[in-house]
Amino acid sequence: MIQEEGQMHRSHVWLAVLAALLLVPASATAGNYPPPSDPGSGTGKSHGKGQTLTVCKRGCDYKNIQKAIDAASGKDTIRVKKGTYRESVQIVGSRYDGLKLIGDPKHRDRVVLDGKSLKSGDAQNAVLLNNADDVTVRGFHAVHYKANCFFATNLQDYVLDQLEAERCGVYGVYAFNSKGGVMSNSEAYYNPDSGFYVGQTPPQKGRKKRTLVKNVSSWGNVLGFSGTNMRYTTITKSRWFNNGAGIVPNVLDSEKYYPPTGNVLSDNDVFWNNFNFYFGAPFKIPQQSAASIPYPIGIGILLFGSQNTVVENNRIFGNYLGGFAEVPAVQLSGNADPKKNEASILRNNTVRGNDFGGGNDLNGRDMLYDGSGSGNCFEGNTTRSPNLPANNGTFVACPGPNPNVTDPAVLPLALTIGLGDPKDPASFEKNWIKHPHPARKGVKPLEHYGG
Amino acid sequence: MAQPGGLDRRGFLAAGGAATFLCTIGGETVPVRSPRDVARVDAAAAALPRPAAAVRRDPIDRAQFPTPEPQPGGRRREYWIGARTVSWDIVPAGRDEWMKRRPPSRSRRTIRAYVYQQWSAGFAKPIGRPRMPGPTLYAEVGDVLVVHFGNLDRKLRQAVTMHPHGVRYNPEYDGAYLGDFTRAGGFVAPGEEFTYVWEATPDSVGAWPYHDHGPNHTLNTLRGLFGAVIVREKGAPAPDVEQVLFLHSFPPQVTGFSELFHSINGRSYAGNTPTIRARAGQRVTIHVMGMDQNFHTFHIHGHRWRDSSGAFVDCPTLGPNETITASFVEDNPGRWLYHCHVSLHQDAGMAGWYLVEQ
Repeated sequence: MIQEEGQMHRSHVWLAVLAALLLVPASATAGNYPPPSDPGSGTGKSHGKGQTLTVCKRGCDYKNIQKAIDAASGKDTIRVKKGTYRESVQIVGSRYDGLKLIGDPKHRDRVVLDGKSLKSGDAQNAVLLNNADDVTVRGFHAVHYKANCFFATNLQDYVLDQLEAERCGVYGVYAFNSKGGVMSNSEAYYNPDSGFYVGQTPPQKGRKKRTLVKNVSSWGNVLGFSGTNMRYTTITKSRWFNNGAGIVPNVLDSEKYYPPTGNVLSDNDVFWNNFNFYFGAPFKIPQQSAASIPYPIGIGILLFGSQNTVVENNRIFGNYLGGFAEVPAVQLSGNADPKKNEASILRNNTVRGNDFGGGNDLNGRDMLYDGSGSGNCFEGNTTRSPNLPANNGTFVACPGPNPNVTDPAVLPLALTIGLGDPKDPASFEKNWIKHPHPARKGVKPLEHYGG
Repeated sequence: MAQPGGLDRRGFLAAGGAATFLCTIGGETVPVRSPRDVARVDAAAAALPRPAAAVRRDPIDRAQFPTPEPQPGGRRREYWIGARTVSWDIVPAGRDEWMKRRPPSRSRRTIRAYVYQQWSAGFAKPIGRPRMPGPTLYAEVGDVLVVHFGNLDRKLRQAVTMHPHGVRYNPEYDGAYLGDFTRAGGFVAPGEEFTYVWEATPDSVGAWPYHDHGPNHTLNTLRGLFGAVIVREKGAPAPDVEQVLFLHSFPPQVTGFSELFHSINGRSYAGNTPTIRARAGQRVTIHVMGMDQNFHTFHIHGHRWRDSSGAFVDCPTLGPNETITASFVEDNPGRWLYHCHVSLHQDAGMAGWYLVEQ
């Protein structure tokens, strides 16, 4: 802690840098996005049986997927046989409510959507769902699209299941401005923003539809999971490793519906998120993306502004900067717009039952919280490395009400140790506290790509 | 011989305690005499549109109400409760330990029940197995119960709710379907969740039921959508032994079986119903609630307790959604029977064991 205290004098500089950089919206990067529209309020459920259309190179109803979709309507099922399809699939409009697009759920790598040789305008997304409710996409491997691998927007109750999202231009599996949905049994890697992303969830007064992210793996991305202004989302039973940062719900006023609220991060493995992509990466870092925002590298879970969020029963280990951090959205703190100022404040977040540094795989630090906001509490966490503050004075116990008390030294220190300069990749590592990782079956640490 | 879905003579006699009831959904009144009628009611419930806010012309239906907060010193007690249908064996032990009555085969005693189940936050994973009744919710005076309720069912595709007794709530958190005047918490469609906020006030002390009060609540409470709320004085200790018992029934017209099951907590016959255990000297409290169309009595062999008037009782009567609480200091070791003393109910399974050690 002595070393960290010695760095406080630079904090004001980084506050200014962060505030400036965070004015860049992470989600404004993917070109040719459909404009947001109201995802509606109906149940979005479509029942009954439709026809089944088949797609393959020879002997099926159609030779490419989009032709089958053009001929289909809701309730239909499109079955895509094994092969590589070089096209961008678009499912747009309510006529497709209830559609199922099925590749090979057991062998998703056998049904490949490859955007590599497509013209720019055709290579945005492997699959785009827009304004079509209750659509299922299952059993595909998408690679080399300029924007996103799988993108759902302006809709309800999507199911994105058994997917593999590799080396797309921004996000791997992405849902925006949508209500309810499932991302499950999928994997995303080598994406220059986040592997999985749920953003700009419309507020739902009274009844709500929850989004479920379950049994997914995300690795080798800038962020494992990003949730800008994400609401009512449960992330569970998933693995977030070898990313720059693991799971990052966050506030940006460049998107609607801030702050993130009503989220639950439960029963995840969050480990080895020490991928310093600035030294080199299997993707091109876009001019504007999460990678251009100097999110800290080496952190497991970062609540960058959140309200009514539960972080429980996760296993968080081997993250060199820290396991968990909860910081206010400093770029909006003190904003003249009271709604933005309110969105920056941490409120009613519960951190309980998490295991830090288990398996003799220590985090650099376990928990960080400056004590700001209200209703934030900690209960039953097992820690093995120092917290910040080291005296644990901000980690008030649950259940409340136990008032939060701000430790004014913590936030400047957190920003100092957490932020780096993209032009100086080593700056992101200078405050790491490294510990050796015990071997894990089937996984190797990724800190420097190719290194 | 019993016919599938029909009644033999013995079954007919047993079913005499299960009167035909009427379900009205979407303006259609269906006398429920058979599983076919049940299917009609379920179909009507699944097709029922969400009440439109536009028809709420009376200002009282547009009134906004604040979300309650705990009183000073009180706390928020959060629960995540999901409702879903499950396969449910009414006689899982396959025997009646009391009268050695031979129960029907498993296929003729296993129903599709509808239960409340506790989940971890965000409905990440269920906590424990599905149970009937649903999880008991606990609070002390000054607390608020924050109940995140999710309609997790994929089978019946109809709106359900949680409606509590005993605690204080404003109309937003009533959890009742009111036709055109329904608020958000009175119609929670499949895939949706709603957060009820209920206050534990001084007059909430006691044990109370909660249950479905959606558009098809008559059927769905018969299927098992009920549970209990227990509110204590602030700082009051829990008894050494505390048990909630729901007295209810599975009528043939709902199950499709020839036999009427009278049940306690979803099970019929001693050895299947809860076996309560205590030791001499322990403070024992048993909350008994009615949750069907019948009046019941509750009798524990070898025991007496005081009712709310202070009189000693050993076989009080309770009606639908009514609670009686038997509290006493145990002083009479042995194997005891507890049961409803309406013989038809008792003989159709509404009985269980109470075992007291020295």
